[in-house]
Amino acid sequence: MRALAFAARSLVRQPARAALGMLGVAAVGALLFDMLLLSEGMIVSMRDLLERTGFDVRITTTAEMPRTAPRMERARETVAAIGRLPGVGDVLAVRFGDMALEQTHGDPLNGTFQGILGTPGPWTVMTGHDLSPGSGTDDVVVNRATAADLHVTPGSQLLVHASCESSPGAAPPVRLRVVGIVSFPFEIAGERMIGGSLDTLESACSARARDQADMVLVTSRGRPDEVVDAVGRLRPDLHAATNAQMLGRVEQAGFSYFRQISTVLTTVTVAFALLLICVLLTVSVNQRLGEIAALRALGFSRRRIVADVICESSLMVGIGGALSLPAGLILATGLDRILKNLPNIPTDLHFFVFEPRALLVHIGLLAATAFVAALYPMRIVARLPIAATLRSEVIS
Amino acid sequence: MLRLHARRLLLTCLVVSVTTLQAQSTRTPDVLVSRQLAESEHLAIGQVIRLSPHTDGTDARTFRIAGIYEPTADPQRLGTVPRKVRLHLPDLLDLTRTATQVAGTDPVDGINIRLARPDDADAFIRDVNGRMPGVGAVRADLAGNAIGTFTVVERFHYAIATVTILAATIFLLALTIMLVDERRETVGILRLIGLPVGRILSQILLEGVLVATAGAAFGLTLALGSQRLLNRFFQWKYDSAMQFVGITPHVASLCVSIAVPLGAVATVLASWALLRRNGLRLVRR
Repeated sequence: MRALAFAARSLVRQPARAALGMLGVAAVGALLFDMLLLSEGMIVSMRDLLERTGFDVRITTTAEMPRTAPRMERARETVAAIGRLPGVGDVLAVRFGDMALEQTHGDPLNGTFQGILGTPGPWTVMTGHDLSPGSGTDDVVVNRATAADLHVTPGSQLLVHASCESSPGAAPPVRLRVVGIVSFPFEIAGERMIGGSLDTLESACSARARDQADMVLVTSRGRPDEVVDAVGRLRPDLHAATNAQMLGRVEQAGFSYFRQISTVLTTVTVAFALLLICVLLTVSVNQRLGEIAALRALGFSRRRIVADVICESSLMVGIGGALSLPAGLILATGLDRILKNLPNIPTDLHFFVFEPRALLVHIGLLAATAFVAALYPMRIVARLPIAATLRSEVIS
Repeated sequence: MLRLHARRLLLTCLVVSVTTLQAQSTRTPDVLVSRQLAESEHLAIGQVIRLSPHTDGTDARTFRIAGIYEPTADPQRLGTVPRKVRLHLPDLLDLTRTATQVAGTDPVDGINIRLARPDDADAFIRDVNGRMPGVGAVRADLAGNAIGTFTVVERFHYAIATVTILAATIFLLALTIMLVDERRETVGILRLIGLPVGRILSQILLEGVLVATAGAAFGLTLALGSQRLLNRFFQWKYDSAMQFVGITPHVASLCVSIAVPLGAVATVLASWALLRRNGLRLVRR
């Protein structure tokens, strides 16, 4: 009989402990799998979000994240100058403002106003139509949260108090016409957003500081790195970054805590699994010392007995590990839902994202755990004195 | 204390070009700079620096560094080095006021209020919101996103802890089943010499409680030992004074209140099946 089949029968002989051992590995494995998904999940998701917008270079005034850096001055001149650079496709300046939306009944609702300069808009049209060069200065698009909260559809009108400086109540209200319902990139769950031209925003909030932008987005025709270099030469006071460089900033600034915690928990989880599987196997082997000595006396080689132990460990960890994958995916959905309640997290951003690499690391870690956990019990059976063990078994 | 729609009372990242000047002036307004900014720009108390509200450094004014402070740790800004300057509000308004702005009409992001009678907070909020349209008063303990961040992180850690407890329980059951099985003959003899099942079960329960208590104590000691290590690592990693791991009496008592009953119950559950068997069967006769 082969070692694997023999190990399988050993497990079947003790179904309760084998099942519990596998379930334990499944639970630990699920947690381990989730921590591996968490370690890269947000970066993978953020990369997807950045690439989905279509822009591959972002320009701000400092190396801070957009909306935390000071605004850039002379936005129109900057957009025009960048648009003339070689290798540059579309250029879009974005300025954010605060707003309060008047309701027929109830208190005004707060939200964010995105004023853009250039085409196309960074949003995806869901209903109605997009802003066009011929759109009036009172035309805006709104996101689904705004449409749902204010019960507006394309053609409806909004009464907006906007502010480009401070509190939303500072400016007199303006009446704006909704032309479309859109989905904004990096939209936060429940956040009310409206988008319009920079002129619309500036006139709505009676901006004292006009012609400013929070960031400029660029689509490159060639390599984004070359556009970044060109922008650096054109405006040394600005910071241009490719999507990859922005991801680097996100890794530094945006919730890298979860990446660190996933590393700590991965280490703890593997150590936990290692310890427990080792204890289970050791106790199991100690209980079967007489049986093992009898098998050795019947002619089973030392190597064969050691192979039985490692096969038993592999079966327990293998079956548990296989169960851990669906369990881990279900658990990841729940944990992702919890973390997405963090403030200012875009709706489409996920913390747990499946990647083949994470699966490979998971399999590798479990295989290493199965082997290392079996080392001590393997040593016990390899050094087992056959005659003394059999004698002790008979006497007891 | 109340916070009226506070967003950015502190001036952040105003430093565009920090130029150290040798001249000391008695009229130069004082500022505080964050430790991180002082370290990165080699600033010291008493130095005179120039701050500008514009990225091109125009309209800069001189200030004297009166002190270096450790910023309050903000979980939302974790990973971002807090290069901050604190100014007196009139100095900040003078610095940021545009040519068309009339002094005295400057907007502020928020006003913090400490009430003489904190119990009146809700009534005061209703009063302010009713009398001043366009101004939103909220309780300080409900303002800001940091509280939301902490709550979510707490929930996340509770979820992770639940899965860990589940895994540990399963392993514990497997282990106790094996350990109880090892003592099958001893239990059989005790049954045969006349000890009632309840008496043996009490003994097993007591053993379980003792082992679980010892395990919980060891676990807490390990956690307390690793607490400082983890805090130091993360504080170094993020250059923050934030406490990442804190073993509070509440957390410690929660751990013990879960671990000890769990260990005891697992021992009794694993033993119960064994004790239901006949004494002779247990000693394999």
